[in-house]
Amino acid sequence: MFNQGGLSLEQAPPFLVVLRFFITATTFGLLLGISLLAYGSELFYIDYTTQITLIHILAIGVMASFMFGALFQMLPVIAGVVIQTPTKKAMLILALLTTGLITQLLTFNSNISLLYAVSAFLLGGGLLHATTIMIRRLVKIADHSTSSKGMLLALIGFSLAILLGIYLLLSLGGYVDATFLIQAKEAHYSFALFGWVALLIVSISFQVVEMFYVTPKYPTLLSNYLPLTLFSLLVLKTVLIFSSINTQMVDGLLAILFIIYAGFTLHRLYKRKRPTSDATVWFWRLGMGLLIITMLLFLADTTVGTDASLKFVSYFTFIGFALSIVFAMMYKIVPFLTWFHLSNQGYIEAPMMHEVIHPKKAKNHFAIHVTTLLLWGLTAFFSQFYILASLMVIISFGWLLYHLIYAMKKYNHTQKHTKKMEW
Amino acid sequence: MIISEYMRNEHRECDELFADTEKSVIDGDFTKAEEQFLLFADKTLTHFKKEEESLFPTFEELTGNTEGPTRVMRFEHEQVRGLLGKMAESVENKETDAYLSLAESMMILLQQHNMKEEQMLYAMCDRMMPQEIKEKTLSTMKVIEL
Repeated sequence: MFNQGGLSLEQAPPFLVVLRFFITATTFGLLLGISLLAYGSELFYIDYTTQITLIHILAIGVMASFMFGALFQMLPVIAGVVIQTPTKKAMLILALLTTGLITQLLTFNSNISLLYAVSAFLLGGGLLHATTIMIRRLVKIADHSTSSKGMLLALIGFSLAILLGIYLLLSLGGYVDATFLIQAKEAHYSFALFGWVALLIVSISFQVVEMFYVTPKYPTLLSNYLPLTLFSLLVLKTVLIFSSINTQMVDGLLAILFIIYAGFTLHRLYKRKRPTSDATVWFWRLGMGLLIITMLLFLADTTVGTDASLKFVSYFTFIGFALSIVFAMMYKIVPFLTWFHLSNQGYIEAPMMHEVIHPKKAKNHFAIHVTTLLLWGLTAFFSQFYILASLMVIISFGWLLYHLIYAMKKYNHTQKHTKKMEW
Repeated sequence: MIISEYMRNEHRECDELFADTEKSVIDGDFTKAEEQFLLFADKTLTHFKKEEESLFPTFEELTGNTEGPTRVMRFEHEQVRGLLGKMAESVENKETDAYLSLAESMMILLQQHNMKEEQMLYAMCDRMMPQEIKEKTLSTMKVIEL
């Protein structure tokens, strides 16, 4: 429950291991931008293979890498979870995630039956290994915080998405009966997007919004019951999908709950005690705004139906929501952890947060991010903006990658060339 | 929950003073910032003293454990004390960027520390300590000064 050693760094993997997850995620982001450019504006008429290739680069290469890196660092800190031999485990997971994803992308584009089994084993196995390690530790903690319960549910949600993904890969490869292919695909997406990405963000925000911006607490009713309610609705939705019953009511409820959550988060940020309005506050505001837009479009689609352009807008607003929060977290935790790990190790000249990544650089990234989103918005209606929008994806991830590498160099430089105080 | 309530209120008071100082630094009013920073530092250090001299020893005596949560909390107090010194220097030298950078670290450090205390340590104290010991500890803490 309680850890020995301040921010529990003894149980967390070394900072450079966590940074490697973030650098991997950002590199996959660059690959995403390059792939978008390579596919050209045919994206709107692309085949299923291209669609799932792009979705998996984003969902696993970018999002899962960011989130596992963050979880490895944050679980000991905000949930009091102890992971033994964290470096070994983290490196194995990163290796499986990377090789598994590359194999999966090759599988989608080559359609070789054996590769489906190999990628199911490597990627599915690697990701399940990661979620199982974390779930097993999380269920054991005695005093759960509002965040830790939600993190546990998000990890269970991701495990279900992975299991469904393994089934999909094996049925596409012809190894198992494909009777439930369509239902499994829908459940796979709903657990991956809402049961993992969105639920994890919701759960973590209950702790970090208050911690980083000194805001009033979320209402207990919301922080205690929202994650469980969302998760239960997703389970119910899956049951309905497999029973071929309409999921409209559940979808509507999910959308309304996410809108309520985003509204409360925006209100918390408005009521924050700290006067600073750095880029990370804006990333959070933007993220919550985009979540509201996504859910309104989702509501419209489930009730009156929307056209292809609006559907496209709802996809990229959801991606924009998730990436905004990830970027907000990166610009807070990377400078903080660089300073914190180094000063804890006794380096007197440990760089201060602003020397690692200056808030101005985060502000620049916010401008790049907003431009990227606006261009994708325009692309939904005018395809001539496609190339520019894809280029902006490369610039956005390139900007973050540069600063992550800079942080890593600063960390290494301090360790090698400055004095250390022994205690 | 008298321990939790009292200590949580002290955390909130420190947060207010911290935010006031940061605002003055952003506005460039270092005379005001210096006064407010002194109040923040004084309030924070007094709070630490109450914990280290009264609450923690009582908890350790009851649990027979000096190597558990209280050790972690004492260690984190030292980290905060170190940062307070650097922040005082930057206010004195009117260095806006340096102050804001240190303030950012301080805020994350303090908030995660407060969360651990509020969600776990104080809750444990309220749960485990008999009512009379809680009341006695509280009245001892109330008169502790820096």
